[in-house]
Amino acid sequence: MSTSTSGVSSEASITPVVVRLKLSLLRNGLRQSAGRRAAYITSVVVVLLFAALQLLGLIALRGNAHAASVTVLLIAVMALGWAVMPLFFPSGDETLDPTRLVMLPLRPDPLVRALLVASLVGIGPLFTLCLLVGSVISVAHGTAAYVTGVVAVPLALLVCVALARAVAAANIRLLSSRKGRDLAVLSGLVIAIGAQLVNFGAQRLGSAGGLSRLDPAADVLRWVPPGSAIGAVDSMSRGSYGVGVAQLVLSVAALVGLLALWSRHLTQLMTSPDGSTLQAGESAARERIPTGGLRRLLPSGRTGTVMERSLRYVWRDPKTKAAWVTSLAIGLIVPVFNALQGTGSIYFACFAAGMLGIQMYNQFGQDTSAFWMVAMTIASPHDAYVELRGRALALLVITLPYATLVTVLTTAMLDDWSKLPEVLGLSFALLGAMLATGAWSSARFPYSIPQEGYKNVAPGQAGLAWIAIFGGMVSAALLTAPVIALTIWLNVTADGDRWSWLLLPLGAGYGALITAFGLRMAAPRTARRLPEILAAVSKG
Amino acid sequence: MAEGAGGSAPAVRVQGLWKRFGEQVAVAGIDLELPAGRFIGLVGPNGAGKTTTLSMVTGLLRPDQGGVEVVGHDVWRDPAAVKARIGILPEGLRLFERLSGRELLAYTGRLRGLPGAEVDKRTTQLLDVLDLAGAQHKLVVDYSTGMRKKIGLAAALLHNPEVLFLDEPFEGVDPVSAQTIRGVLERYTASGATVVFSSHVMELVESLCDWVAVMVAGRIRAHGPLAEVRGDAPSLQQAFLELVGAQGRDRGSDLDWLGGGAMR
Repeated sequence: MSTSTSGVSSEASITPVVVRLKLSLLRNGLRQSAGRRAAYITSVVVVLLFAALQLLGLIALRGNAHAASVTVLLIAVMALGWAVMPLFFPSGDETLDPTRLVMLPLRPDPLVRALLVASLVGIGPLFTLCLLVGSVISVAHGTAAYVTGVVAVPLALLVCVALARAVAAANIRLLSSRKGRDLAVLSGLVIAIGAQLVNFGAQRLGSAGGLSRLDPAADVLRWVPPGSAIGAVDSMSRGSYGVGVAQLVLSVAALVGLLALWSRHLTQLMTSPDGSTLQAGESAARERIPTGGLRRLLPSGRTGTVMERSLRYVWRDPKTKAAWVTSLAIGLIVPVFNALQGTGSIYFACFAAGMLGIQMYNQFGQDTSAFWMVAMTIASPHDAYVELRGRALALLVITLPYATLVTVLTTAMLDDWSKLPEVLGLSFALLGAMLATGAWSSARFPYSIPQEGYKNVAPGQAGLAWIAIFGGMVSAALLTAPVIALTIWLNVTADGDRWSWLLLPLGAGYGALITAFGLRMAAPRTARRLPEILAAVSKG
Repeated sequence: MAEGAGGSAPAVRVQGLWKRFGEQVAVAGIDLELPAGRFIGLVGPNGAGKTTTLSMVTGLLRPDQGGVEVVGHDVWRDPAAVKARIGILPEGLRLFERLSGRELLAYTGRLRGLPGAEVDKRTTQLLDVLDLAGAQHKLVVDYSTGMRKKIGLAAALLHNPEVLFLDEPFEGVDPVSAQTIRGVLERYTASGATVVFSSHVMELVESLCDWVAVMVAGRIRAHGPLAEVRGDAPSLQQAFLELVGAQGRDRGSDLDWLGGGAMR
């Protein structure tokens, strides 16, 4: 912002250094592996294509009565993205973490300027720039509007970037702690659910009212920076110069405020003990771990021990938790939403069993390299059998009631109670087949799940993961084929409906049998391959 | 020498052990007998193959070639007998970090087939002795390095093994925790059990061990009772540097600008 004369010399020297540092970090990150390079280039291409499309779309919108509403809303969503990105992907940019620079003799003001300029380098800012330019083109009419646009675009971009930095600096203690990393793991979930909501909203928008439904929201957002910068361009186009100037001033004020906030947190961070020092003292007192209780309900011996640990991990391990929540959500959403929209079939209820059965896959990968503790206690195929059976039982504790519930719910919504027994039977058979193939592929195709970040496969093991999951799902479908065939046969036979209740005990029995068979097949393989499994799950 | 402990069977017998990772040979044919009832140090510089060797000896890594016997049982042919008799504290492998310290011990003990009440009793005692009682309900993921090593040691000792393998047990551990670990290990060996631990801190090995094996570049360079390996050298550190061939590197003159007084 306003440069003090004393800082000029150091600013001149530090800003290019930080920008070069950022470029080097980017380059070296890409040099690390061909896969990473490919991923980066792909994402750049996709983002640029998307940006170009958006630019074209916005230009096409020029002249539309609701153009201003759309642009202001888009920019608000964009700013929201900038605000939450550092919370979910804190490791994305190392220059974001000012504690790395803490031992250098730097003053906060030049540092803030240097970091601000450095953070303009990247795909995100480029994308934002395209969006902003498109928005200005879409709403600007007349010289005054275009002149305002020239100011508004960089201003809005700086507000976005400063917002991200300020949020990151304010939360760096949380982000560098274990809880913050746990949060980052759950980010994928939030994004998935968010996408679901956007999708829903877009459908609603398409169905009734059209773009005019956006206007009330836009009326507020045109005063909220950085949207107010584009709002100013729109106001200038309409000839309300006073309003335009006020909106522009609001954006400038926001930028100044954010920079001051950022600078203050930066100073604070660089002069106070870091998270690791504080953490040791606090977290013990704050975190309450529910213990006991569970064990009394579970069988004794290895079975209960294994079940207890598995169930605890569903709740406490962020990766396992995210996988479970995804499975539970999709297992419910697919049949219920389809039933809601009237396009559903009652057989979609089997989705719940199928999705939850996936959790049996890569059991040992979920242990990470802590699997050695299990490996040290498996000395015979029988030990391995009890271990796998314990894990399957833990899974059933959640899955059986859930699959039943989803099935009953779907049945109730479709009001097709006569089909309930056969769908339940089919669900149980499918679940059994998933458990069987899951146990077997856990032993045969283990792969590691990196604990940090949002990836679920370590580099180089993606092929293995695909083989395990898709091969397993196809085999599970094949294994369920007898029950599926029986269901179809009973449905097409004239007298079949009278006997369809038989599918419930048959399906459940078949599922139980095939699970037992799968566990028996997997156990000797697990016991034989312990070192190989450990090596496979210890990567990354 | 190797059979020095009154002719009793060795705790560990290694024959012709090899391991390659791609091009790199990590362990290049080790033959070694570790006497029972001793405090044994496996020393060597970083990358000498200590961790690989310990992993193969404990059955966590399959050797390309060669055999390992622990207290007379083959690690690969008779895993049940071996696993029940050894405890390990590996380096670089995780624990079940989303369990609390107490839960981790309860879990490990029960997996090992000990009766629940016995596990709980031993857990309480181990947590007390290792000074972890205050942090027993904290998740292991929030433990410091020293606490992590201590809880790992407790998990390794829970079933009272005959041979304990520790990979760098003192790496990154503060002096207080190190002293606690030392005390527990000394008490454990005094009762006739065997401890095998790897380290690159010679002073530590010299003060703790009575038997050492020096490993360099995947091979055993020297082994035997401490005094024998040390020979005429003033300290194990000196003897080790001679064995490794890292003597006489005086490049001090290259850094003539470094020192107090003048800035820049």
